[in-house]
Amino acid sequence: MAVEEFNMQHTTLYRKKVSLNMRHLFPYLIILPGLIFYLLFTVYPIYSQFQISFLHWVVTPGAVSPFVGLANYIQAFHDPVVLVAARNTALYIIATVPPQMILGMIAAYLLVTKIPGAAIWRAAIFLPVITSWVVVSYLFSYLFNSQEGLVNGALSVLLHKDIVIPWLQDTWTANGVIWLLAVWKGIGWSMVVFLAAFMNLPKDQIESARVDGASSLRVWWHVILPSLRPVITFVFVMLVIGGTQAFISIFLMTQGGPANSTQVMLTYSYQQAFVFFNFSYAAAIASIMAVLTFGLSVLFIRVLRERG
Amino acid sequence: MMRKLALVLFSVAVLVLASCGGSSSSTASKPATTVVLHFWNAYNTTDKEASTMANVIIPRFEKEHPGIKVVSDVFPYSELLPKLLAAISAGNPPDLVRSDIIWVPQLAQQGALVPLSKDLPGFSKLAKETFPGPLSTCEWKGVYYGLPLDTNTQVLFYNKTDFAAAGIQNPPSTLSELFQDAVKLTNPAKHQWGLGVDGTDIWNVSPFIWSYGGSFTNPTYTKASGYLNGPTTVAIITKLVDMYMKGYIGNDFLGGSGAISGEQGFPKGQYAMYIDGPWAVATYQQSFPSLSYGMEPMPPGAGGSRSVTGGEDIVIPAGSKHIKQAELFLKFLLSPWAQLKMAEVGQMSVLKTISNQEIAAVPYYAPFAKQLLTAEARPPVPQYTQLDTDFSNGLQEILKGAPIQATLNSVASQIDALLAQNGG
Repeated sequence: MAVEEFNMQHTTLYRKKVSLNMRHLFPYLIILPGLIFYLLFTVYPIYSQFQISFLHWVVTPGAVSPFVGLANYIQAFHDPVVLVAARNTALYIIATVPPQMILGMIAAYLLVTKIPGAAIWRAAIFLPVITSWVVVSYLFSYLFNSQEGLVNGALSVLLHKDIVIPWLQDTWTANGVIWLLAVWKGIGWSMVVFLAAFMNLPKDQIESARVDGASSLRVWWHVILPSLRPVITFVFVMLVIGGTQAFISIFLMTQGGPANSTQVMLTYSYQQAFVFFNFSYAAAIASIMAVLTFGLSVLFIRVLRERG
Repeated sequence: MMRKLALVLFSVAVLVLASCGGSSSSTASKPATTVVLHFWNAYNTTDKEASTMANVIIPRFEKEHPGIKVVSDVFPYSELLPKLLAAISAGNPPDLVRSDIIWVPQLAQQGALVPLSKDLPGFSKLAKETFPGPLSTCEWKGVYYGLPLDTNTQVLFYNKTDFAAAGIQNPPSTLSELFQDAVKLTNPAKHQWGLGVDGTDIWNVSPFIWSYGGSFTNPTYTKASGYLNGPTTVAIITKLVDMYMKGYIGNDFLGGSGAISGEQGFPKGQYAMYIDGPWAVATYQQSFPSLSYGMEPMPPGAGGSRSVTGGEDIVIPAGSKHIKQAELFLKFLLSPWAQLKMAEVGQMSVLKTISNQEIAAVPYYAPFAKQLLTAEARPPVPQYTQLDTDFSNGLQEILKGAPIQATLNSVASQIDALLAQNGG
């Protein structure tokens, strides 16, 4: 009897132990495949990139790639094109993030208020998000072509005179077109996130504020926007990080020209690596970007946590 | 619980295997006697280049060389170099590459190519049969890392209808006549520019600069100062900039994708003259059969009638596992039979010996063959792409209003520094 009882107890204990282990192990097993991909295709390349940035790297396996210390970084800090590329990357973020957020929020609000044809509007605004960057970049190249572009054509008809604006061949008009494309393509994404947030707004609070006689503006300022704050921060962080990754549209529309004036950090890094074969210098530029992006992310996540 | 654990472990194992299993299948189950050569190229797939290589040239080689199979891997031009670099650094490059002539010194400097002049039996005989201009693009520091495979150059295209409308009888016979004609042929009401120049890079402006007598570097490619910013080069650049500012050269000159290229604008009457290669003829035959135009070698200036050598070289990456077999295929590609077959579909031959047969087969090659006799290669140095970008950016700044002499001075000293890396 006693022995039997002991055995029973032991088995339950044993079972409990197993299930406890499982409970600890299970989440790790679930993230393991993703983790392997992350380590292999994100962490290892970043590690390699940092390593290459301290060498004078030669592409041939077995060839000697001499160690040059910080030389590539020192060169980057003295390179006027890096300065222009950094300026353009910063301007890209400043010029594209707020419009995407504001217009995305307005679009989401209009859709929530059930304007007629909401489904069509939603699809129309979201369509650019899922369209390939390559396709829309070529589309914009055509729209803003100086001779045959639709924009100059429409302007010529409207103004009754010949308009030949070389949009993509002038620093600021070209940057403007690049930003316009980013905003147009990005509104849909913010819209969807804000749409989800609007569905979960505290309806009773808004109602009672209205009943108490608050104007629409006050309702927005004191009720709706504060309850949207975590979502706004999330959208902001994602868009800023996305802005640091700008590449395809510039690469295809202006190739960084005229005279490097629309170059961003990633297009310049690509040019250094795959056109000039300055692999280590390209790695140094990309590493500077990686550190800046990482720093920004840490900062934003901290702000997000404090507010949250 | 154990069953759940097993399930999870199993799915993890499947995922891991799936993620690393990609490469193992290709090495399995090949008969030991057959060698498979991979030939990377960017042949055009919309016309007959790629299909002639795959269905005419390669089958005959395989018939003559039992035990060797050749696979032609075709990439878009812009993807070929990045893919090749990745394959080289991974230690798994293809066995042969049809390389743009400007990449060869760059790849050679990286130690990525087999030195053919040392390694290929019968190299000097083959080299002697090819045109010297294209051959010079394979050399780096006295060693040849490739052989020319196909070649081309640019000549002047002129629209006969526009010439007649402007009352001009003949195509320009000198460079200064070309500029005078461009003024007469400009017609803003019709959106027509006298001359189209497709960009500020060396490929597009060198025919004008060389024909005028200007230059980018000294003949040994060690110095740009005194050449790129010398009085003759400054004079021709001043002329081109002036023509652009006054609206006689189209705004394709500023480059990028923001304007209509010469090849698109010429058949529509936007440019009355421009320079282009033999591929444009095939395009016009197909898309604009009624276009009335002529082709002439560059109208000579003080420097003669000079244009720029284009085309591709054939190279063997140093990491190829079948160098001997690759060399057999390389020699086959340079045989008169293979060269003529490819010439028929638009790839001008690099062999001096078959020039007449080639023109008999493709009559429109005649002005290009004539131009090739005096065509020059772009500076064949590893830093060419950077040199070209520096020059092109400088000229763009000038077109935006920067002072000509001062800008060219600073570009020249930038390029001096680049060329100094080669240690003279």
